[in-house]
Amino acid sequence: MASIRRLLIANRGEIGVRIVRACRDLGVSPVAVYAPVDAGAPHVRMADAALSLPDDPPVESYLNATRLLALAHRAGADAIHPGYGFLAEQPAFAAACAAEGVRFVGPPAPVLAQCGDKAATRALVAAAGVPVLEGSGPVEDTDAHAQATVLGFPLLIKAVGGGGGKGIHLVRAAAELGGALRLARGEAQAAFGDPRVYLERWLERPRHVEVQILADAGGRVIALGERACSVQRRHQKLIEEAPAPGLSAGLREALGRAAVVVARALDYRNAGTVEFLLEGDRFFFMEVNARIQVEHPVTEALTGVDLVAAQIAVAAGEALPFEQEDVSASGAALECRISAEDPHAGFLPSLGTIDGVVEPAGAGIRVDSGLWSGQVVSRHYDPLLAKVIAWGPTRAVAIARMRRALAEFLVSGVDTTIPFHLWALEQPEFAAGRYDVRFTDRWGEGPSAPDAERLAVLAAAAWADHGLQTPALPLDGASPGWVAAAREEGLR
Amino acid sequence: MIFAVQVRGRHDRVETAAVPDGLLIRTGEQAALVRLEPAVGTQCWRLVVDGHATPVRLHERDGRLIATLGAVRVSMTVRRWLPLPSRERAAASADRRIEIRAPMPGLVIETRVAAGDPVRAGSPVVIVEAMKMQMEIPAPEAGRVEEVRVRAGEEVAGGQLLAIVRPLHARTERTSP
Repeated sequence: MASIRRLLIANRGEIGVRIVRACRDLGVSPVAVYAPVDAGAPHVRMADAALSLPDDPPVESYLNATRLLALAHRAGADAIHPGYGFLAEQPAFAAACAAEGVRFVGPPAPVLAQCGDKAATRALVAAAGVPVLEGSGPVEDTDAHAQATVLGFPLLIKAVGGGGGKGIHLVRAAAELGGALRLARGEAQAAFGDPRVYLERWLERPRHVEVQILADAGGRVIALGERACSVQRRHQKLIEEAPAPGLSAGLREALGRAAVVVARALDYRNAGTVEFLLEGDRFFFMEVNARIQVEHPVTEALTGVDLVAAQIAVAAGEALPFEQEDVSASGAALECRISAEDPHAGFLPSLGTIDGVVEPAGAGIRVDSGLWSGQVVSRHYDPLLAKVIAWGPTRAVAIARMRRALAEFLVSGVDTTIPFHLWALEQPEFAAGRYDVRFTDRWGEGPSAPDAERLAVLAAAAWADHGLQTPALPLDGASPGWVAAAREEGLR
Repeated sequence: MIFAVQVRGRHDRVETAAVPDGLLIRTGEQAALVRLEPAVGTQCWRLVVDGHATPVRLHERDGRLIATLGAVRVSMTVRRWLPLPSRERAAASADRRIEIRAPMPGLVIETRVAAGDPVRAGSPVVIVEAMKMQMEIPAPEAGRVEEVRVRAGEEVAGGQLLAIVRPLHARTERTSP
C-alpha cells in the first residue's frame, strides 16, 4: 500500500481487532488508541503501537477528534480508520483529516454530510427514481402534531443525524407524540450532537434488507449482494444473514441496481450500505450507512471480498481490483451479535468484569471478538462484545454450525445475548426463513423448559454441596441465629 | 446433605451424597449421577448428568442463584433443608413502600417527579442513560411520591434507590397457607 504505511485505529473492541487484521494482510502498520478501561484489550495488544487516551467517556476518548488527529501525527500515521460509531460518520472529522494530510478511511466529508442528513438524502434518492417511504422533513415540536396527522399513526420518530437505532421511537397514538419527541431529541443530541428528528411512516411487519456497496474514486460502484437484518430489538440488529431468505432473483437484482443508483446519486466513495424496507415485493429506500458495518463479515463470507482491506485501498486512492461481473456469492452465512445484555430482562445492558472466555472455532466458523479475561464492560460504550459468523454451503448447514459454535461460546462475568440466539435458531419461522422485524417480540423474557429446570436444580445442589456458597438458613424472626445454627448441626 | 431448592414458587427437597464418580443427587423419586466441573471463569461450568454434558452458567444475584442453560434461565434459591415454616412472606408484605431502583448503572438525565407528586402506574419517574440509550424508569404502581433520592446529572449504581412511592391503594393481605 504505497500511500498508506501506518494507520491509526480510532476505535475499540472487535472492530479494532478487525482493522488490525486487515492492516496486517496489507502490510500496513496498525496503531491502536485506548481509553484506560481498554488498556488490556486485544486491539491494543495486537497493534504495533498503542497510545493512551486520558479518560473513558467517549468525548475524552474515541470521540475526541482533535486529540485523535494529534495522536495520529505523533504516531506517524498517514491514515485513520474510524471503524463504526464514534467518529465514523462525522463530516467535520473527515474534513479535518483531509486538511491535515491524513487519509480518512471512509467516504469524503461532503458525502458524509449528505448521508448524515437523512431527510435530505431521502429527497435526493426519491429524485433519482428509487422508492422512498413517506415521511416528513425535520420537524419542530410545534408542527410535529400537524405533520404526524398527515402521515397517520403509528409512525416512527427518527434522528436526522444518525442511525444505529439511536433516537428511534415508535409512536402508536397522538398522545404519545410529545413524550417520544422529548426522548428522541435527548438521545439524538447525546448520540449525534444534533437534536433534529423527522417522522416516517411505520410499516407493521416489514423486512429489513440492505445492500453492501463499494465505490472507488474512479467512479466504479459495485454491489456485493444483500443482507437480511430483520432480527432486531429496539431497532438494533441481533442476527444478520445472506442471502436474504425468500427473495426472488428479480427482487434481489432490483435491490442491487437500486443501491448502485443511490450510490451514484450521492457520488459515493468507499464502503457503504444502502438500507431498504421490504413489504411483500415492494421495497423502500431507508438510509445509507456511510461506514463499514458490524455485519460486514456476512458479505465477506459469501463473496470472499475483504471489505476492510478494500476500504483501506480505496482510501489510499487505488482502484477497486474487480468489476461487478467478478463478484460471485456462494453458500449462506449468518452472524449473531454477542452483546453484554440480559436477554432475560428486556435486553438491559449487563455491566461487570469478564473473568473468563472460551471462543468457538471449527469448520465454517469465524469469530470477530474484542473479548478478554479481565475486561470491564463499561456503560460508556456500545455493549457489543463479539460476533460469530457461520458459513455453510446451504443455509441449514450454516445454522447447524452456528448452533454448535454458540454452545461452545462461554463468557463468565456478564449476561450475553447467546441464550437469545440459541432460542432464535430453534424457531420454526427462522429455520424456514419466514421472519420479520417483529420476530424478537415472541422471545418475551425467554423460554422455560422442564428438562432445563431439572438440570438447573441438579447444578444448584452440586454447587451448594461443593460449598461454593454457604446456603443461608431461613432467617425468620422466630428463630434467632444460634437456634438455627443448632438446628443445622442437628441435621449433619 | 439436604437442600431446599426453590424454583418459581415450588420447593424441591434435594439430597446429595458423595459417590466415587461425583454426587448422587435425589430429587423426589429420581436419582442422578452428577458432576459439576469448572469450565472457565467463576461462572461457567460443565454439568455432567448420567454421562451427558451440558454447559451451564451459574451466578448469584440478589440472594438468588441464576442458572443459564442454553436459551433457558432458571432463578432459584438454595438453602439447607429445614422443616420450619418460613414467616418471610408475612414480614415482606407488611412494608407498603415501593422502592424504585436503577436497573443498571448510568447517568440520571432527568427526574420527572418531585416529592408529593401523584404518579400513575407506568408513568416515568426518572430517566437514566447508559450505553447511549435513554430509559424511562416507571412507577410500578399508582401512588404518591414520598421522596426522590437522585438529581439530574448524578451517576447512579445498579440497584441504587432512585425514588420511593407510597402506593395509592393498600394491597389486601393474602393469608399465608
